[in-house]
Amino acid sequence: MTEHEMFEHGMTDGLTDEVRQIREALQQSLPPVNTELRRDLWPAVLRKLDARPARVPWYDWALIGLSASVFLFFPQLILVFAYHL
Amino acid sequence: MDLFQRFALGEIDAFETLVRQFQGDVYAWIVRIVRDPGIAEDLTVETLWRIYRARHQFRTDGNFAAWARRIATNLAIDHLRRKRPEQSLLREPAGPLPPDQLLQRETQEKIQQAFRRLPVKLQAAATLALVEERPYDEIADALGTSVGAVKLRVFRAVRILRKQLNRLGVRP
Repeated sequence: MTEHEMFEHGMTDGLTDEVRQIREALQQSLPPVNTELRRDLWPAVLRKLDARPARVPWYDWALIGLSASVFLFFPQLILVFAYHL
Repeated sequence: MDLFQRFALGEIDAFETLVRQFQGDVYAWIVRIVRDPGIAEDLTVETLWRIYRARHQFRTDGNFAAWARRIATNLAIDHLRRKRPEQSLLREPAGPLPPDQLLQRETQEKIQQAFRRLPVKLQAAATLALVEERPYDEIADALGTSVGAVKLRVFRAVRILRKQLNRLGVRP
């Protein structure tokens, strides 16, 4: 049976035996996890928000570098730039 | 102005309310995928932090829980990709096991081993669909794909697992 046929037969009309066997094997082998959160995570989130100030993205640095280069090689453009500010 | 609009504008009080409302759901989703409570807590904090950073991308008429779940899933999958754990998820027995239990434990460890070798996207889909029995539309939403694609991933995972278990001499 091709994968597509398995998909059509197995997952639309109920589980195939193969899927059922693997599912049972996995459920027995992977211990169940407790999905209850044990503590409030807000203080940790707040600390992280305070600790990691927004980084300047690389394209902003590229723009600054490009502007600095232009002004270095064509200093007269500083006056044009200042006029438009 | 409603809570989601205030959050999208960056109001920290609105974000705190959302964190307290959704942190349990985000944690539960992540721990189902990574299956380690400590790591799941860290990833939940990271997810909530990323949610705040990406607040401008949130459509205030959209589903916040689904959006949060998608960010959480991406982080959980990245974690699985970075760190494929080699240690057993089973608890160490207190003493020597009788032969039949020892055999059962060995079989379970082989199944775990085969499961951890799956490509991470297949592993995540199989965990959520087969182990946790979450609805396919919920999984598809969290993985950012279609229900059909999730079903196909689950089938691929089953096929690969079957082959690997046969190779290891295990018949589930």
